[in-house]
Amino acid sequence: MSTTMPLLNVERLSKSFGTHQVLNKIDMSVKLGDVTCIVGPSGSGKSTLLRCLNYLEVPDSGVVFLDGDPVGMRWHGNTLRQMSFNELAAQRQRMGMVFQSFNLFPHKTALENIVEAPIIVQRRKKSEAVAEGMALLDKVGLRERAHYYPRQLSGGQQQRVAIARSLAMKPAVMLFDEPTSALDPELVGEVLAVMRQLAEDGMTMVVVTHEMSFARDVADHLIFMDGGVIVEAGPPKDVLSNPQHTRTKAFLARLL
Amino acid sequence: MAQDLKSPTSARPDIHETKPRPLRHPSWWIGGAALSLFVVLFIRLLVTNENLHWDIVAQYLFSPEILAGLGRTLLLTFVAMIIGLAIGVVLAIMRLSKNPVFQTASWAWIWFFRGVPPLVQLIFWYNLALLIPTVSIGVPFGPELWSASMNSLITPFSAAVLGLALTESAYAAEMIRAGIQAINVGQTEAAATLGMTRSQTLRRIVLPQALKIVIPPIGNDTISMLKFTSLVSVLALPDLLYSAQMIYSRTYQTIPLLIVATIWYLVLSTILTLIEHYIEHRLNDGRPLELSLILSSLFRIKFGAPRTEVSK
Repeated sequence: MSTTMPLLNVERLSKSFGTHQVLNKIDMSVKLGDVTCIVGPSGSGKSTLLRCLNYLEVPDSGVVFLDGDPVGMRWHGNTLRQMSFNELAAQRQRMGMVFQSFNLFPHKTALENIVEAPIIVQRRKKSEAVAEGMALLDKVGLRERAHYYPRQLSGGQQQRVAIARSLAMKPAVMLFDEPTSALDPELVGEVLAVMRQLAEDGMTMVVVTHEMSFARDVADHLIFMDGGVIVEAGPPKDVLSNPQHTRTKAFLARLL
Repeated sequence: MAQDLKSPTSARPDIHETKPRPLRHPSWWIGGAALSLFVVLFIRLLVTNENLHWDIVAQYLFSPEILAGLGRTLLLTFVAMIIGLAIGVVLAIMRLSKNPVFQTASWAWIWFFRGVPPLVQLIFWYNLALLIPTVSIGVPFGPELWSASMNSLITPFSAAVLGLALTESAYAAEMIRAGIQAINVGQTEAAATLGMTRSQTLRRIVLPQALKIVIPPIGNDTISMLKFTSLVSVLALPDLLYSAQMIYSRTYQTIPLLIVATIWYLVLSTILTLIEHYIEHRLNDGRPLELSLILSSLFRIKFGAPRTEVSK
């Protein structure tokens, strides 16, 4: 894959819930190794956009391309076909996702959460998956919590396990859906630190967040959304310190 | 102070050094005494009433005929529960499927088998040969590969299993459906983003969590099933009750043999209740439910070994 081609490309993506248009012809692209932060008021469509990227929400129209392949559909000769759930599952392995509410599997320990998909989906050897799982726990600073169940962990620790669980599938891109919004303020820092480290390691990331300092420091590209459209996008320093649109200005003014 | 003048407090102990005398409950004692009197009278009735014939109860309690009936009752309970639960899981999944044909078929099954009394079903299944004389397996509208007469397939035992298991399947389906629906949608989304297929998600993520929720109602149903098996006496299947009936039809010792059956039903339902409590307790402890755990809990109850583990 040439470096000029974006890893993720979103073209004219629209989505409505009933009569409410949540996304209106969104275009965006994410380059390999880039960190893209999506900010905006609640209800602006930023989470829906993220969930359309891996087809958790099915867009009404428009296409997401991952490495040039359309997500959720495939060419069969000259006919475009909807993917079966299992074909989609194979495609989704390339896009890790971290949720606001962690969604760890409560009946499995931290380590079991991490090795589940590598063993069941990728059919990796158990010993190999466990070794890699422990290395990932090390990376998020939770090696000694490997055998704890999610409810024995704090919110910040659960979210770090959830990040490790996604990384275990070696995804090409990581999607974060407000990863720190459900956390107590003093636990936000530990999760953001892990995400900063990931960004430094060169992981391609798309992050929906309210953490403006994270967006300013880490993002290569900042997108401001409101009312289902991208109002403003660019390098975070430009968008944050010199917003062009009144809606961006109003949103940023409320945060400061 | 004025109060000090009215009643001198010098004789009282320091309030910080003494505890208030506990409240007395005379009504507890009166009510308790009255009820105890009735209990004593009832026990006296049980001991002194000669029609009860405790000697005959003791004589038949462990008789081979009764024990064989006991074995059949247990076998019937567990076979019907296992088949009922297996069908129930399938029905629950069909009910939650997006396919309207599956949904409707599952709904109709549950509607029918929950609506028809098990006793009616037992008699119906037993007389199935009147409706369908022969069964055959073959290509539809084509050649026949295998066939048998219904009379040879429907024995009292198979009719009993059918009737009880199908009734249970309808109840189990609703329980399991509720259990599956109680699992947060975030769990299936997380599994989907990890690339799991639908069946992997169901087997590895959803069902293990749903099982934990439905264990208490399943335990309850097992105890109900134990008692429902006594209905099979109408099919002349020698279960616990029918074995007792066969004996008293020979000996005319009706009451003592009914007591024998009652004692065994109570013993079995007590054991089942203990097992259920134990499993529930373990689940509340938070440890995951594993087969080895259930087996070890069974083992401990039977042999009364004390629990030594300390929960984390």
